[in-house]
This record gives sequence, C-alpha cells and structure tokens, in this order.
Amino acid sequence: MSSIYNFKKIAPVPEAGDFLDIVLSKTQRKTPTVVHPGYKITRIRQFYMRKVKFTQDSFDEKLRQILDEFPVLDNVHPFYADLMNVLYDKDHYKLALGQINTARHLIDAVAKDYVRLLKFGDSLYRCKQLKRAALGRMATVMKRQKDSLSYLEQVRQHLARLPSIDPNTRTLLVCGFPNVGKSSFMNKVTRADVDVQPYAFTTKSLFVGHMDYKYLRWQVIDTPGILDHSLEERNTIEMQSITALAHLRAAVLFFADLSEQCGYSVREQMSLFESIRPLFANKPTLLVVSKTDVCTLDDVSAEDRALVDAVVRDGVEVAQLSSFLDRGVIETRNLACEKLLQQRVEMKLKGAQLGGVLNKLNVAQPARRDEVARPAHIPEAVAKRRRYDAHDPQRMVLERDLEVEGGGAGVYSVDLKKKYQLASDEWRYDTIPEIMDGKNVADFVDPDIEERLAELEREEEKLAAEGLYDSPDDEEDDEDRRIRALARRIRERKQIIAQEARINNSSRATLTHKQKAIAGASPATAAPEAMAEHLRKLGLDDDAAAATASRIARKRQRSESRAPAVELARRSASLAPRALSVRRDRSTMGFKDAHQKAESDKSRARALRRIAHLGRRGEADRSIQSKMPKHLFTGKRSNGTNDRR
Amino acid sequence: MPQNEYIEESIKRHGRRLDHAERKRKKEARKAHKDAEFAQKVHGLRAKLYNKKRHAEKIQMKKTLKMHDEKSAKQKTDDAVPEGAVPAYLLDREGQQRAKVLSNMLKQKRKEKAGKWNVPLPKVRGIAEDEMFKVVKTGKSKTKSWKRMVTKPTFVGDGFTRKPPKYERFIRPMALRYKKANVTHPELKATFQLPIIGVKKNPQSPMYTQLGVLTKGTVIEVNVAELGLVTTGGKVLWGKYAQITNNPENDGCINALLLV
Repeated sequence: MSSIYNFKKIAPVPEAGDFLDIVLSKTQRKTPTVVHPGYKITRIRQFYMRKVKFTQDSFDEKLRQILDEFPVLDNVHPFYADLMNVLYDKDHYKLALGQINTARHLIDAVAKDYVRLLKFGDSLYRCKQLKRAALGRMATVMKRQKDSLSYLEQVRQHLARLPSIDPNTRTLLVCGFPNVGKSSFMNKVTRADVDVQPYAFTTKSLFVGHMDYKYLRWQVIDTPGILDHSLEERNTIEMQSITALAHLRAAVLFFADLSEQCGYSVREQMSLFESIRPLFANKPTLLVVSKTDVCTLDDVSAEDRALVDAVVRDGVEVAQLSSFLDRGVIETRNLACEKLLQQRVEMKLKGAQLGGVLNKLNVAQPARRDEVARPAHIPEAVAKRRRYDAHDPQRMVLERDLEVEGGGAGVYSVDLKKKYQLASDEWRYDTIPEIMDGKNVADFVDPDIEERLAELEREEEKLAAEGLYDSPDDEEDDEDRRIRALARRIRERKQIIAQEARINNSSRATLTHKQKAIAGASPATAAPEAMAEHLRKLGLDDDAAAATASRIARKRQRSESRAPAVELARRSASLAPRALSVRRDRSTMGFKDAHQKAESDKSRARALRRIAHLGRRGEADRSIQSKMPKHLFTGKRSNGTNDRR
Repeated sequence: MPQNEYIEESIKRHGRRLDHAERKRKKEARKAHKDAEFAQKVHGLRAKLYNKKRHAEKIQMKKTLKMHDEKSAKQKTDDAVPEGAVPAYLLDREGQQRAKVLSNMLKQKRKEKAGKWNVPLPKVRGIAEDEMFKVVKTGKSKTKSWKRMVTKPTFVGDGFTRKPPKYERFIRPMALRYKKANVTHPELKATFQLPIIGVKKNPQSPMYTQLGVLTKGTVIEVNVAELGLVTTGGKVLWGKYAQITNNPENDGCINALLLV
C-alpha cells in the first residue's frame, strides 16, 4: 500500500556541530587551497571570495533541503496535520522550520556583506582575516540553531516510523476503552502483529494493518484506548485516536466489554460512546460486544442491557465476537465492510463527478417484437459438461491430477506440447531444429509461407500447362552425343592415368635419374608415332593426333638467335596491320639493323665497365639530386605548402 | 510493515541477542585502542578537527578529575596560620603575607593616579599613508593621481554630501562605511550594538580623525541612550566615548570598549 505522503524519505538532519563540520570540510575539499602573497591582489581576493561564496552555497543548499523535505502542515491531509499537531506540537514545529529559514537568510546576508568587504581587501592577510570572520559568523548563526536541528531530527525519526495510513481508502477504525480487545481483533483480521497485553494502554499509538475483502484492499486502524473525559483532559495517546476518528472516513467499530474485565463499567463505556457520538456522524458505526466467551449481550443485567439498547440507534448496529474463541470475528468484519462499501457507493452516486457520467449512460431495452423465444445460445458441449467435483470419480482430469500421478510438484514436468494445434497430430512431438545447415531456422519462418508456396506452385502449374517447360527430347543431335562420348572416354582415361601414376610413384620412388630415363621417356621425346598412338588412346582423332604429334616433335625454330628486326619483319608480314596491339621492344628502336644494335651494346658495356668496377654511381642508379632543395625549406611555413610556394 | 516503536517492541518480545552484554563490554574496552589507532592514522583536515576535539575532551576530563580530587586537596586560607610557635620555614606556607597585600594596593593606587585619560589601548601601530589610501588615477589618459580612496572602514555622518567628483580628493567607499559598533560595558560585562555619533580621535593622525577613519585604538562617540545611563547629577547620558579594540578592516565589524 503506497501512502500519498512519504515521510520516510526525509534525509537525516545533522546536529549543529556535525552540520558545521560537513559544510566547512566541504569548503576545504572543494575549493582551491593554495594561494601566495605574491599573487596578483585580484586573484587573492577572488580566491577568498570563492571560499566565502561556496560556504554560503553549501549552507543554503543544506538548509533549503531541510525546508523542502519536511512536510508543510497546511499542505498535508488534515488527518496528518492534526496528528502531527498532537504528536509534535504545531507551533513548535513551525517555529523550528521558521528559525531554520531565518538562519538561511542570515547566512546569505553575512556572505553578501563579506564578499563586498573582500573587494577592498588590499593584502592576503586582510583577505584571509575577512574570510575567517565570514565563516566564523556563519558558524555562529548555525550554532544557534542547535535546538531546532535536534528537534527536527527527532521529528524526522518519529515521522518515518508513523504507520503509512492512506486517509482516502477503505478503512475500518477500531476504537473503545483501553483493554476491551481492540488489538486482539486487529490481530485476528490482519497480519499486523500488534502487541496485546492484559493492561491498559498497551497500544500507545496508531497501528495499521491490511486485509482483503471482496478482492479489495482494506486497511484496519487500531487506535489507543480512550477514556471518558473532556477533550481538554485528553493526553497525547488518546488524542491520536480522536484525530483518527475525526478525519478518516471509515467504518467505526466501537468495542465494548460487557464482562467489565477491562475495569470499566458498562455505564462508563456507554457514556463514552455517547460523548464521542458526534465523531461517528456520517460513518457506518458498529457497537461490537467483545469477549462473548465471558459475557454475551444476553447475559448482562437488565439495567446494563437497557443502557446498551439506549445507545443502539441512528444506524448503529450491534455485533458480537470473541477473539479468544474465534467466534463472530469474520462476521463482524464482513458486516462492517459491507456497511462501509454500501455507504461509499452511495456517496459516489451522490457525488457530482458521477452525475456527469451517468447522464451520458443509457441502457437500451429492446421492445419485444414477436412471440418467438430467443434464448441465449449455449453450445451443446458446454451444456453437457459435468460440473466439476473433486470427489466425483468421473470428473475431468486436470493437470493437477496428472501432476499428483506423475510424482508431485518438482518431479512432474508439464507436457507443453500436448495441446499444440497443428495440421496433423503426428507433428506435435517433432523436434524443430533451431539451426539447420548453418542457418537460423527462425530467420526463415514466415507466417504466410504456406500461402506463398501454394501460390508459387499454382503459377508453376499454370506455366507448365502452357507448355513453357516442354523441351523437345530429340534436340540432342549426333554431334552432342559424340562429344559426350568423347568426354566420358577422356574422364575414364584420366582416372586410369592417375591410378597408374600413383602406382608408379610408389614403385619408382627410389630410382635414379638415369634409371628413370631408361624406364620410360616422356611422350614428347618418344617417337612421333608412339605419341600419335598415345594421343589416339587419349581420345583424339587419328588425323589430329598425328598432326599434333609431328608439331610437338619438330624442333623449335631458333627464334632467339634470329635478329629482332627480322623477327619484327616476320611478324608484321604474318599479321594484318594493327590487327593486334603489340608492345614494341624499345631497345631495338632507332637501329638500322641487328649489327648496329650489337655494336651499340658493345660500346655501352665498354663505357660502363670502369664505373661498374669501381662501384661508382652511374646513370642507371636511382639518384636524389639534392635532399633538401633550398627553395622548399626556407621562409615562413605559413606561405603555401612544403612543395608548392 | 514495521511501524511505531518496532525496535523496542522486538526487543521486548524476543529479547536481545545472547551475547549482547559481552559485545557491548568488549566494544567499550576496545574503544580506546580503536581511537588511538585512528588518531595515529588520520591526517590532513580531519586530523586537525579530530585533535581539536580530543584536546577539548582531555581538558574536560582533567577538570573533572581535579574536581574529584579537590575534596582531599588543601586550600589556601587567609587565616589558617597555625596557632602557637611555628618554624620559620612554615610561616609563609599558609595565608597571604600582609606586606604583599599592602604593596599590591599601593601599585594599584599609583596606576589609577597615572592619568585621567587612561584608555584600554594606550599604544597603536602606525599606519602609513600608502596603506591607508589607494591612489585613484584620473584624467582622460589616467595620468593624474591626486585622488585617494580610503581602504579602511570609515564613519560618515548622516548629513554628509559628496563633493562633485572633480574636486573630491578623498573617496570613502560605501561598502566600508559603518554606522554601528558593538560596545562592551566593562563593568556590566555586557555588549550592546550602539549607533556611532562621531569619531573623537584617531591616534594615527588628525587627518584620519577628520576623515572619520575607524582603526584599532580610535576613540569614537557612541549613543548610549538605550542603556539608560545616568550622571551623578541625575541627567540621562546619551553620548559616551568608546575605544575600538579590534581591527575593523580585518573583521568586518567594530568592537569597542566603553570608556567609563
């Protein structure tokens, strides 16, 4: 249950001494600490001004935080305002906060004054003394707030421990003389473990507990006992009860102990009821006769009975309970809750907020058209369904039953796939891989994949029907067939060769070069006939095989010894002009003939011989003429780039 | 949901943990050691604060011890000279000697006679002009330097009107003007914040008196009407002299001692 006011979040208020330590050490830590008399006077002034200002800021921030966090009595719910007045004294509280506020203003004024004086500081010493005086005066102001601060700290601690009562929610309020069984009832209906003792004023403050009724959250408030005397005579403990009674719109349960075990007579109890009756106005009220195990309403004397009966009027109802025997407790609670709920609903209906909505609501009742009965449709299966009964052997088997059969909780594992709705029931327990062929299956799951597949298939069918894929089988002619056959033969032969090579490799591994030469010459060096035969075996035609064999066997022409110019001439003769892009040999260009080129080469070699012999730098060497060309490295760099001036 | 006095409630119901008393005792016994360890380790600002606190605590402790001891300690009494024959070396032990009392009284009398205008602070530190004044450069090109600004707190009377800036040689800044002084009455031992009427004398120089500069040792006239002092003749006093006892420029306030 969340309270609208959070009094638990108020930050602790330090003692005055601690407050000073906190702020001053913060100043020391967070402002510069080094200053020298040699510094410029403005810098020195600024250094000390900063310290003064910073201290003031810290004080201001901390004091403002206190002022902000503590609740303002005028702004909280009147119940809390009154409760705080009873507990902490409103005047004292306001005074304390007011003093804190004044202290804040005083500190601000001190800081302002001293910053102004620091502007005229003409030496480090004077500035330092002024700073010291400023901080000292701020500290004095704070020291005077010692009492306010300690009071506020106490208030904070107590506030944090107040029960979080929501003044607007559904509430049962338990009240009555001390020792009549209020807390016992509270402990029966909620889990708020309130202390119950056989003496008066065991409960010294309000306690709140929570319970459920009709799926709603209810709070039950246990109040300290109240005695029958005037308001002025009531002490703080009783006043808390009165505050709760006065401000909370709740169902009031006035407890009365007719056995008089509590030490108060029936007359006294009834007179208290009468005296606080004004507080019950507009609240559903119950006169709860407790301790019925000792004395019920019927057991009392006629005189007392008359007193009780006199009280029961104006909507007050009587309930009886015994917390000891657990008799009537829940009935009492239900009665109270019902009464409150009813009243709250009535209040809501009366309220202006609901009126606006109700005006817009209309429940339409269709007029009867004819005599045809149109009952609600209940499916047969539903109508036939047996009502579930745990003792019926024919009952529906629940998952729970299965669990018991299967070894109970923790052992039985629920079959989640049991109720999968798939196209075929057989698929239910199929394992679906997460990753398939290195791909995440989920990436390819498409909700409308079936549909699209079906569409594609339909399209295919249509295309097939139109005859797009009809290819004539007789298109493969003789030529193709021949090529295929040839290819097959080549493949077979290749395999055989590979196998033979493998065998040979292993058997001939240790043979020398000579032995190898004897064992078998390469096909190219063997006789042309043998080669042609070999090629034929490989699958070439007879003519082609013979031609290839003779071409390979013929010795290569001595192109290397032929002069380049001659070669060039031969090439240009054999090829159509510019049919082929040819890179020309530049070393041959500019010579009349091969002889001239040879002469030139020879003289070049002669010229280079000495240089090469001495290891000198020659024209063929890569050279950097000057490492730092002056024009690139002089002058200002801003003028252009290094290589562009 | 813990509410109200839930800690006390829990202790009442379940009691404290079984070794609570022992833990408490041990903690107390260990405290001195822990404090010592902390005192040795701490440094910087925290050390300064801690040492100051500890110092005060120790003084308090010693005082209490002394108070307890006083019951058994002997006190000096004037008329406690033992009866009968006493050896010379014991004569001086108890009671004050008559002669000493006499000489003290004489000294006191001489002191009173010494001067009628005796003030609490008879001597003051000299203040040079360049400390007192700051040169203000004037003129279009800031070359003239005849103007001075007083850098000490001053008293400026109510009716003062500044001269036109062209002729104003001494500037007394608004921020450094004071109207009130914290005056202590030496006999009442009470301090009052009283309005200043005027500067009677600044011991540094008559010029400072004229300017109304408030420095340590300056005699000021304060309005004591609030105190309700009466002359021997029965007239109500309203102006009285007081001497400034602090350095107002360093403290930002004026403390003075009433001359009675």
